[in-house]
Amino acid sequence: MKRAFSIVAWIAVAILGAGSLAKIAVHRGEPINAMWFVAAALGCYALAFRFYSAFVAARLLTFDDTRATPAERVDDGRDFVPTNKWVLFGHHFAAIAGPGPLVGPTLAAQFGYLPGTIWLIAGAIFAGCVQDFVILFFSIRRNGKSLGEMAREEVSRRGGFIAQIAVLAIMVILLGVIALVVVNALKSSPWATFTLAMTIPIAMLVGLYLRFLRPGRVMEASLIGVSLIIFAVIAGQWVADSPAWAQAFTISGVALAFALIAYGFAASALPVWLLLAPRDYLSAFIKAGAIFSLAAGILLVRPDILMPPLTKFIDGSGPVFAGKIFPFCFITIACGAISGFHSLISSGTTPKMILRESQSRLIGYGAMLMESFVGVMAMVAACAMTPGVYFAINSPASIVGGTADAAAKTISSWGYSLSAATMNDMAKAVGEITLLNRAGGAPSLAVGMAQIFSSTIGGPRLLSIWYHFAIMFEALFILTVLDAGTRVGRFMIQELAGRLWKPFAQTSWVPGMLISSALIVALWGYFLYQGVIDPLGGINSLWPLFGIANQLLACVALVLATTIMIKMGRIRWLWVTVLPMIWLVTVTMTASYQKIFSANTRIGFLSLAQSLTAQIAAGKIPTAKIADTQRIIFNQRLDAAVTAALALMILVLIVEALVQWYLLLAKKRPATLHESPYVATAWAQNFSGVAHGDD
Amino acid sequence: MKMQNKFAHPARRLPRALRAFWRGLREWCGDASYDRYLAARATRESACCKLTRAEFYVEQANRRYSRPNRCC
Repeated sequence: MKRAFSIVAWIAVAILGAGSLAKIAVHRGEPINAMWFVAAALGCYALAFRFYSAFVAARLLTFDDTRATPAERVDDGRDFVPTNKWVLFGHHFAAIAGPGPLVGPTLAAQFGYLPGTIWLIAGAIFAGCVQDFVILFFSIRRNGKSLGEMAREEVSRRGGFIAQIAVLAIMVILLGVIALVVVNALKSSPWATFTLAMTIPIAMLVGLYLRFLRPGRVMEASLIGVSLIIFAVIAGQWVADSPAWAQAFTISGVALAFALIAYGFAASALPVWLLLAPRDYLSAFIKAGAIFSLAAGILLVRPDILMPPLTKFIDGSGPVFAGKIFPFCFITIACGAISGFHSLISSGTTPKMILRESQSRLIGYGAMLMESFVGVMAMVAACAMTPGVYFAINSPASIVGGTADAAAKTISSWGYSLSAATMNDMAKAVGEITLLNRAGGAPSLAVGMAQIFSSTIGGPRLLSIWYHFAIMFEALFILTVLDAGTRVGRFMIQELAGRLWKPFAQTSWVPGMLISSALIVALWGYFLYQGVIDPLGGINSLWPLFGIANQLLACVALVLATTIMIKMGRIRWLWVTVLPMIWLVTVTMTASYQKIFSANTRIGFLSLAQSLTAQIAAGKIPTAKIADTQRIIFNQRLDAAVTAALALMILVLIVEALVQWYLLLAKKRPATLHESPYVATAWAQNFSGVAHGDD
Repeated sequence: MKMQNKFAHPARRLPRALRAFWRGLREWCGDASYDRYLAARATRESACCKLTRAEFYVEQANRRYSRPNRCC
């Protein structure tokens, strides 16, 4: 009876998921309600978790819950801490969910809602979740070793080296591009700039409280900090209304870029407890609150999706970024579908805290499904606004014009009606001077979120508060990634330089710390600066670079997983990791080729450099702008070189993997697994993690 | 025993659920980390000296932010 009920219930879920997906896929004409997106996503996720993750667990991984995990064996109360599975799920989700699943889908909405939504759901189920899940499991079996260590041991030294370089590359490009998102959200916006600036002294205050006044009382300190930040959001309006203060906080893009570079250096060099850690605590609370609020807002408001399923920009002429759906939709949306960066989290902190091998299914596969849902919600928020408004916010001035009149005329000529008054009224309603030309996804997502929130609480009167709350939320946790990433990048540089000169590897050595901090900041700062001065808006060049670097890391993770599975003798099920890997290699290699060699100057780095060089030679560039143009030419060639280096690493990795797999399959190399020795668990079967009697 | 818990009166189950939520929240945000450290130390012979709450907080922050712990 129970089994029959279960079968009927799962058939109902399958019908709901497939039916909703079919509805959003074939729907044309009238706006479709956002609830179809929620139903399609949740139905597919439920099926995937119940059946596909169970299949991966049973056929590929074969859990052994009699085996003690690293958390049980080491249990040092520091890194290795046995943790309840739901608490660890929260930790893991907070670690993997950054700005990527919010920004990527918002940018990809230029193709219409359909391609991005399908990729978010299918990519997560068949690629992203599988990657996170298997890497977490393999790291648990190897005492919580990192991706680089596992690649070195299980694949080859070269594989490990590529992983290390890929991590550094992705870190540098990621930090540059997300800093650009912040700059585009804050430039010429005194309210948003003031609010974000205030989060720095607030974080330091929280840091001092946690260090000296009430050490380690994170929750109460965070509540004080969050209250102060909400006050800063409200106070921002007073700043914007005061001409003198507004002028002081109206800062250009270039000045903001240098401010962020200085901030990154300070956060890397200052004691962690003073700025970096307290900001992260504040960010985690606000992130959790904002994501749950967005979900609740969508469920309560149930907005109509005004963006069509497919726009005319599927032909590659998109104003937000240039390039066709294939391959650019699939590298624009990385986080939310598959993100190589997750494999660093899955092989870092989480495997040292898990209680049972079987819990890796909920934490590895389940948390990634939740991140995918965040991506779907971001897509809903972006597509719930009028398409004309979406394109006006996200398109650079060089394409749609720098004034509301020009933007309205250009965008209306594309078939998406927009009046200048609409843009002016909207900017006024959210308390901004202008919303035009703010490429990067954050402002349009904030407008979408503000519209959803204000429909629930406060009405149009609170639209400006909600908008700036959303901007603060996005900028706050982008800055958290920025400062934490800068510090980790600093350690990576110190480790690499330490191989050449040993004192550099000592993280407490002050000159080494300052030099490596300056170096990592200079690296990502350069990408940020070139993005800010880029006439095409920066995002057009840098976001695809970030996507390619991120997917390179995913390739490393999938190559590692496949190699381990060959060693485990799971030959029949290799397609589970090999198919996503083939897809990613195809996507990244195609995107790399097009970004380097496309004759379209909006896509190809080299063709734009060539075109600008020809314009200088023909005397078409005014003398005053020649130096700037030459800098842009240099940046295009640099981006082409970076893309080529990433593509080359992917090729070397694949060749390396094929050689290793051949040697293993032909039994010319012993299939030696580097797992930790088996130790039987001493915990009872129903042990849930309340290990030390705390309540 | 397990059956009794499962079908307990909602008025009894609610406080238990709230306690579990509160405990989980403290663990998630890091409030319970020092208690965990003390408990882990108590169950194992440890050669090093015991850290105070403030020392432990600084040490944990340094460890946590020395490796990738926040994703894109």
